[in-house]
Amino acid sequence: MAQHFDIAVLGSGPGGYIAALKAASLGAKVAVVEQSHLGGTCLNLGCIPSKALLASSERLHQIQHAGDLGIQVNGASFDWAKIQARKDKTLAMLRGGIKALFGGRKVTLFQGRAVLNGPGKIAVRKDGAAAEELTADKVIIATGSVPSRIPGWPSDPEVNCTSDEALHWKSLPKSVLIVGGGAIGCEFACMLQPFGVQVTVVEALPKLLPNMDGQIADALEKIFAKRGIKCFPNTKVQDLKVGSQGATAVLSNGSSVTAEKVLVATGRKPNTANLGLESLGLATDRGFIRVNDRMETPVPGCYCIGDANGRCLLAHAASAHGITAVENALGHGRPFDAPVPNGVYTFPEIAAVGLTTEECRAQGLPFFAGNYMIGHLGKAMAIGETDGFVKVIRHRETGRLLGVHILGHNATECIAAAGALLHQKVTVEAVAETVFSHPTISEAIKEAAEDALHQALHLPPHKMQRVVAGI
Amino acid sequence: MPTLKMPEVKGTGQPTVLRWCKTVGDTVKKGAVLLLTETDAELIEVESGLDGTLLEVLSPPGKRVPFQTPLAVLGAVGQAVSLPPPSQAVSLPPPSQTVSLPPPPQAGQPAPQSAGPVIPIVMPKAGQSMEEGMIVKWNVEPGARIQKGQIIFTVETDKATIEVEAVDEGRLARIVVPQGETVPVQAPVAYIAEKDSDVDTCLAQPGGVSATDMPSQREGLSVPTGDARMSPRQTAGADTSVAQVVEGGRVKASPAARKLAQERGINLAALGAGSGPEGRILSTDVAAAKAGAAVPAALAAGQVRRRMSQMRKAIARNLLWSKQNIPHFYLRLTVNAEPLLTFYKQEKAKYPCSVNDVVVAACAKAIHEFAAFRCKLDGADLIETPTANIGVAVGMEEGLAVPVIVAAERLTLQQIGAESKRLAEAARKGKLEGQGEGVFTITNLGMFGVEEFAAIINPTEAAILAVGAAHEAVVVKDGNVRAGRVMNLTLSCDHRIVDGLLGAKFLARMKELLENPAKLVSR
Repeated sequence: MAQHFDIAVLGSGPGGYIAALKAASLGAKVAVVEQSHLGGTCLNLGCIPSKALLASSERLHQIQHAGDLGIQVNGASFDWAKIQARKDKTLAMLRGGIKALFGGRKVTLFQGRAVLNGPGKIAVRKDGAAAEELTADKVIIATGSVPSRIPGWPSDPEVNCTSDEALHWKSLPKSVLIVGGGAIGCEFACMLQPFGVQVTVVEALPKLLPNMDGQIADALEKIFAKRGIKCFPNTKVQDLKVGSQGATAVLSNGSSVTAEKVLVATGRKPNTANLGLESLGLATDRGFIRVNDRMETPVPGCYCIGDANGRCLLAHAASAHGITAVENALGHGRPFDAPVPNGVYTFPEIAAVGLTTEECRAQGLPFFAGNYMIGHLGKAMAIGETDGFVKVIRHRETGRLLGVHILGHNATECIAAAGALLHQKVTVEAVAETVFSHPTISEAIKEAAEDALHQALHLPPHKMQRVVAGI
Repeated sequence: MPTLKMPEVKGTGQPTVLRWCKTVGDTVKKGAVLLLTETDAELIEVESGLDGTLLEVLSPPGKRVPFQTPLAVLGAVGQAVSLPPPSQAVSLPPPSQTVSLPPPPQAGQPAPQSAGPVIPIVMPKAGQSMEEGMIVKWNVEPGARIQKGQIIFTVETDKATIEVEAVDEGRLARIVVPQGETVPVQAPVAYIAEKDSDVDTCLAQPGGVSATDMPSQREGLSVPTGDARMSPRQTAGADTSVAQVVEGGRVKASPAARKLAQERGINLAALGAGSGPEGRILSTDVAAAKAGAAVPAALAAGQVRRRMSQMRKAIARNLLWSKQNIPHFYLRLTVNAEPLLTFYKQEKAKYPCSVNDVVVAACAKAIHEFAAFRCKLDGADLIETPTANIGVAVGMEEGLAVPVIVAAERLTLQQIGAESKRLAEAARKGKLEGQGEGVFTITNLGMFGVEEFAAIINPTEAAILAVGAAHEAVVVKDGNVRAGRVMNLTLSCDHRIVDGLLGAKFLARMKELLENPAKLVSR
């Protein structure tokens, strides 16, 4: 007899596990179907392992530059196996954490791959066979995404891999060609360089980090160049061959790059194949399951959250979607309507929320962007972290805050204040009136807001055009 | 008087006004910077091409000012600045940088020595929920001397018409809000001064006259015929939409919205829910509110434009809210009217009463028995009132009033008859006051022959009963057809408070009582 639940969640990533806990906290009987480890991509193949490796990398980077702060370090070395072990221990602890949370809220966990068999009917398949069945009043699909691979390229994961493999490398290569200069590509480039890996990044679009404000990409490229990371934006890989030395790529700019390994970081595609969506009559759009602002699919009682719906491929967006979906599934929800910040965990970090200047221009909005260089801050100079800037974009007609973009130390923490203000739809005056602590990096947000109002005190007055109004 | 226009600027994109560097009334020298504008790339100082006095700002901050946009009107050097049009809320102090209103009245500053004292006469607050009033008629002309206690103007609110007495004596120097105009409570409508020029001088000063400074004005409100102070029946429709954005007594609005509303004299509480998070009012909502009012449509030949009366506006607002927000469902049944009509004729011979009064009496009993019909919704709670306070709809030329018979279940039919007659007369004279809050409404169009209709629930109530005419009809009983007299009842219920089953039981009880009316007089 198949067990029946109020809500079945497919996937236990940041979308799925949060949705499950929320539903259970609201009194629903919840099942989660997970085919692999608890925690999904974020915990196992994304956010957490990458940040753990980046932490070790950044620590080494700081040690390498400790002389700037008057500290003498001789013979610093690293143990990659220990770095990996530490990362693995972190993942295990977090998986255990989710398991405990599920236990505490009596969420039933089914281990296996979920396949839908009609509305509210799910088969759980293990080792190729149908192991169990369950039914549910509402289904939330949270199956996430997988890294894109380039068809026709060498299939040997030792040579051509994605972040899934790269995060768990048993040993470091001497050189890496990173194909794709988005957030993942840039994070890997930044992480590998202090360990002595020769890194080259190739990006097909005109700038690195194509979804972010262009000013960030320009600044990051310069920082990477100083560290010896070679970047080729506006460049495609035309050919890739594997030889004894590793892989050789011919680039569209005419040059060629040879590296021990190739890391493909061109994007992620939704994990919705072989899910049985046809049994619901649910169509996909290039694999993504499209939803409205309540996370509802066109099929009643069926919701989709996180990477699988394609709205915003970020862990915290998936969690927020999860809450929205559960509240709507249980009958008292609202549409999702909050700004979602995004971060890139390079060092220095990058973070942004709201519109970029490119988006403002494309929408024809009358805007003015205020800027403040992190290097001018007292805190930045005192701690020796002077890279970066904060940009605050203001709507010239309504005075509203449109976007905040940060490249700088602790940017991903600083963006929280900006996201909170943006959610309240404040004017830039309100941002400038907020009292930020001194000395901090975050006070650059206030400075940039003042600059957006042409009222920055720490900058010389803007040069102004002068015209005469006649009759 | 020359109008200065925006010149051409270098660079891409349309410039917008950032802020004004001069305010209305300032002397401007040729070459002085009037305002700052900005494009995506830079700041632009715009200097005046002429000497003069800044009379009016035509492009406020945020406005796009492409080449040739009118920026400001300049008057002659030393020219006195005239008062702004009365529809702008003069009593609210504008922010220091925006200039479309005259300088704010600052509390505590006395009028200048060289001019005589100037006393403002303000729109009185005639009731807890009154936010604005329309001047119906001025009883005095500028230049006339007024005495304390003399009725100087009549004001219409959404509840009633009030005559306002003067509390100060003196010469009425200037009327700033003419007949037919509506202003918020506390806005100045006229000024008392010995000389007209005193008023000019006073208003042109940065520390002009403070309306709030004159406590005697607030106490001076007088309601005619010595009746109790107006405590208007809750216009809960509007209040409920306001309740969505009110938190701890304060309307939820962004700092920008508050500032803009202040500048433009817009009452935030009247805007309803805004488009920000959780109904927060944003600056764009305030801007739209003003813009919406500004441009009237052109009339075709023969068409006439008439401003809606306060009562009409209130009805429009409340019933729109009701239709849009209350999930109505409708139950109807037919009552055998023979026993009712017989009973009514009997009682009418003894004391004044109408068929509707009998319906009220039946309703009072049923409401007393069914607590859900005495409930109103407040967030996630239901507030139950102990007594059957029944509103009886009274139709009039100008609109509709719903006087309330409080605790109708405690009254005899005779008392109900007397009270409903008294209230209907008071309503028709515009003299309803001291009304309690109703829990249920009865509306009867039977006197016009309407056999059946469905009414819209009065906001905050759980239901409304529409009563049709008692009329001759074919009656079928036990398979036999005969002629008889019937009356149709239609009950509209708020499905959030009352479910179908309960509505049906209530209506069934009404039928039982109306077909056995003798029970209504037994005590």
